[in-house]
Amino acid sequence: MVNPVLLIAVPLGLAFAIPLIDRIPGRLTRFVPVAATLFNLILCIRLVPAVANGPVIVEIGGFAPPFGINLYAGHLGLLFAGLISLAGLVVSIYSISYIRTGPRARYHMLYILLLVGATGVVLTGDLFNLFVFFEILCISSYALVAYHGDRSGLESSIKYLIQGSVGSSMLLVGIGLMYGMFGTLNMADIARSMAGMNDGAVFVPMILMVAGLGVEAAIFPLNGWLPDAHSSAPSSISAVLSGIAIEVGLYAVARIVFTVLGVSDIFLFLAFLGVLTLLIGEMCAFAQSNIKRMLAYSSIGQIGLILFALSLASGISVTGGLFQIVNHTLSKGLLFLSAGYLIYRSGSMEISSLHGMGRRMPLTSLAFTVGAFSLIGLPPFAGFPGKFLIVTGALGEGRTVISVLVGIVLLCTVIESAYFFRVVGALYFKGGKGEEGRQSAPSAAAAAMIILIVLILALGVYPKIAKTFLRFAASDLLDGVRYVGSVLG
Amino acid sequence: MTGVEILLIAAFGGVLLTWFLGRVSSSAGSASAVLILLALTVLVALMYGGMSETVFYNGFFGISMSLRVNALSWFFAMATAVLACLSAVFSLDYMKGRRNTGFYYTMLLLVNAAMLGVVFSGDLLSFFIFWEIMSWSTFLLISYNRGPAVAAGMKYIVMSLIGSMAMLTGIISMFISFGTVNIAELSGMIPAASHGYQLFLLIIIGAAFGIKNAVMPLHTWLPDAYTEAPSPFTAVLSGMLTRMGVFGFLLIIYVMVGAGRVLQPAGSAVPAFNQVLAVLGAVTIVIPTFIAMLQNDAKRLLAWHGIGQGGYMVLGFAFGTSMGVAGGIFHTLNHAIYIVLLFMSVGAIQYRTGGVRDLNSLGGLIKKMPVAFIGALLGICGLIGVPLTNGFVSKWMIYKTLITGGAPFLAFAALIGSWGTILSVYKFLHNMFLGQLPSKYENIRQAPFSMKLPILVLSSAILLFGILPGLPLKVIDGIVVSFGFQSMDVSIWGIASETGMLNTVNLFAAIAAGTLVVLVLFRIFGKSVPVGQDDNYAAGAAVPRDRYSYTARFYDPLFRMISPYLKDVFSTLYDWLAGVTESFCGSVRKIYTGHISGYVMYIVLFISAMIFVQIVWSPW
Repeated sequence: MVNPVLLIAVPLGLAFAIPLIDRIPGRLTRFVPVAATLFNLILCIRLVPAVANGPVIVEIGGFAPPFGINLYAGHLGLLFAGLISLAGLVVSIYSISYIRTGPRARYHMLYILLLVGATGVVLTGDLFNLFVFFEILCISSYALVAYHGDRSGLESSIKYLIQGSVGSSMLLVGIGLMYGMFGTLNMADIARSMAGMNDGAVFVPMILMVAGLGVEAAIFPLNGWLPDAHSSAPSSISAVLSGIAIEVGLYAVARIVFTVLGVSDIFLFLAFLGVLTLLIGEMCAFAQSNIKRMLAYSSIGQIGLILFALSLASGISVTGGLFQIVNHTLSKGLLFLSAGYLIYRSGSMEISSLHGMGRRMPLTSLAFTVGAFSLIGLPPFAGFPGKFLIVTGALGEGRTVISVLVGIVLLCTVIESAYFFRVVGALYFKGGKGEEGRQSAPSAAAAAMIILIVLILALGVYPKIAKTFLRFAASDLLDGVRYVGSVLG
Repeated sequence: MTGVEILLIAAFGGVLLTWFLGRVSSSAGSASAVLILLALTVLVALMYGGMSETVFYNGFFGISMSLRVNALSWFFAMATAVLACLSAVFSLDYMKGRRNTGFYYTMLLLVNAAMLGVVFSGDLLSFFIFWEIMSWSTFLLISYNRGPAVAAGMKYIVMSLIGSMAMLTGIISMFISFGTVNIAELSGMIPAASHGYQLFLLIIIGAAFGIKNAVMPLHTWLPDAYTEAPSPFTAVLSGMLTRMGVFGFLLIIYVMVGAGRVLQPAGSAVPAFNQVLAVLGAVTIVIPTFIAMLQNDAKRLLAWHGIGQGGYMVLGFAFGTSMGVAGGIFHTLNHAIYIVLLFMSVGAIQYRTGGVRDLNSLGGLIKKMPVAFIGALLGICGLIGVPLTNGFVSKWMIYKTLITGGAPFLAFAALIGSWGTILSVYKFLHNMFLGQLPSKYENIRQAPFSMKLPILVLSSAILLFGILPGLPLKVIDGIVVSFGFQSMDVSIWGIASETGMLNTVNLFAAIAAGTLVVLVLFRIFGKSVPVGQDDNYAAGAAVPRDRYSYTARFYDPLFRMISPYLKDVFSTLYDWLAGVTESFCGSVRKIYTGHISGYVMYIVLFISAMIFVQIVWSPW
């Protein structure tokens, strides 16, 4: 059996080998992230049969769980790890041609570190370890946001750094309080102790942790950094930040609220928060004329939708939420990647400067259109099954307040469609008469976009492939008792 | 594999094939589009009389998605396929030389395939999926002409998605309540549900169909969309795509909730739904028809009639007697035939005049484009409902239902609609074909063959269904019977009913004999003086050409009289709402000030507020 710890160890080793590989002539460094993510993807696929028989627990250093740090590779962790490596692979293929200037070796190193941090967060079974991986994720993304070294990049990176640090401090304080209360940092151990406790007692550490992680997860009103950071980062990094980083933050929130603390009283509040985040994100996106800021606000909206779905805490809605996470990673990745070359060719991020791009860059525009349609939730793309499951789960609750929230969610879909169709209309039906300057994206970028298009179509047409796995992942998230049982025996 | 599966595979496979061929060469793409649509028409025709239901797909979370064939779906599929085929033939010359025709034909085929999917869906999930594919591909075609077309497309897609979201809510609500989305199974279960729930379903799903069918006050997308879309696609859009709303209404009202439930008042609010719908239908007839009279753009004039004629269909089927429902369905077919014909005639003129469709600047084209004139003449006769054209029969059925059913006010509304129609389509015909010929159109040529062919086919269909209405009414009778109404007494030459029968063949004989007698008398006794085309309004005095235009400001006094009363308040209201939403979004955006101190404040405030709430009120 393969050891899940390799998912973290091998890319970490490769990341630190990059300065050495950079010494070899021939620009080999740009292929290192491809190798690392490909390795992780294969490993994840090979882990699937093992996980089907129950979660794989790795005891680091040979100490049994309450005393040592352990990794927990269940369906959920594996889903996220697989998604991270898949998105990471596609984006690293894209970066082969996209990253041409600047300190390339450091870019690739930080990029792998970002993915390692994300993988660590979703696999770890220890709160403090989660904090550490979280910091790896955050710090590498601070640096990558400022990769271009221009004024706006630096400014938003600093903003991101300050807010991220505030969030991290809150998280750390929360973890410290937990340690004081329970005397342990093992997530399963805390979950076991929580079983007999009054939920209200953990309120303060919980809210500190949720708020701390919520900064990275971009939950309103903690997400002020996101529009700046996502719009001034290189597009490949925006794709990873939108497609992976904030989802991982949301994973951590959900893991702590559902599995570790199991406090069901806060679910309705989180559902409200999710819908509020969704509404505000979509409305801000609607008011944008800058395409990357629009996509960034749309990420806020999607996070809100996913948070809403997860906090309904029923099997169907959480499955739907996880489906939406997969869809958002693929579609938003595709949107940022295609927007990257659209911006590169047109020289501006304003939507008005993208007029007529449908003729100049047919494949890239097609990719943008597919991503947009999928994110709106139009069939036959991957967004529709997710939205279908979420609405089914939410209406299945049969509670009036949830049904009203569903109404708002569907209204937001209409707002979302308005701004995405506006861009699609601008790409294909405005400006630019002649065939002047037909410039396709380079083949590596085209390959990355085609992979994502195919995946989005496949998931949209045949969602059943993902559904079984996602249902197990959903029960992995919701079933705290089973989590405790499998870690502590 | 059953016939309907082969049909849909061919339809969607044809989309890919056309896209591929269109990339190679544009003429190969257009040829393949025409051939594929022809093949689809043959395939649909072969399915005549079939009754089947097959599960074709289990891949969507294990919900079995099925296709079913019955009289209703065959009827709509046949009309869809034939009209799409004719429209593709018409497009051959119309779109020639335009850029990106491969895209146009691909999307035309995709819209057609999705419409076939909609009518053959055996469950609501596949219905919704095909419905959405239809919606977004329509957006891409409406916006094809660029310029103002993009705004028209936006209006369409936003309204359409509002409807779809309502429909999705309804479908999922049924899925949760009944555990199935299969239409046949649901039609056994819904009648047993509570009246309130039935009403909820009718309203929430009906909203989607009301938007698609442009029932007032949900009609505002239609005038812009019809006007701005490329004319051959406007034909498809007006002929069948909009009428998917009628199909949907029939499906939800009569197939699923059930005719008996909807119509017999058993202390429920459900019958009220149909009454409200009928009144909305009447309003939809009257107001748009008169707004049509004010239009000076040929396509916009027809577009408003498209809304108005939709009102007749709604009025017919909402009244819910076998003749009313049959009249509504038959009117859907008839309207499709003549409105497609009219849009094609306008399209032919646009093609030859370089895109002119302004009724103030055309005129006198009758001798230059006789085939387009014949198409327009028969089209408006059908639209008015002149005897011996198809529109007469279906309007007769609707009037008859309203009068015998004791709804004189609705009947009166329908009649007023006809008067408005006569006035406005006369303007349409006159300003394009009669009167003076502007000298710049002196050398205009006939429409090409690819345009004449569909025009002639549809013109003969108008007469055929007008003289022998029994041909389609046999099929429609089968549909009505499948809804649970009693069969009408239909024969090939007409309909019998309790208050007298309609025999169109006798009518034809009488009119033909009368015409013949008059013609013979004229031949024998008449003395004719040929006059020039410009000579027709100055009593023989010479009038300088192009100085006076007989067609400009047609109906000007009438215009001044009625236009203050015919403001499209709903369009204004929706535009205002959109503007308010936009500015509200703009102010919401200011939450993100860009100042880091503010952002950190948000984080700290969030945590403090939470802790404050917990300490003070301790909700736990």
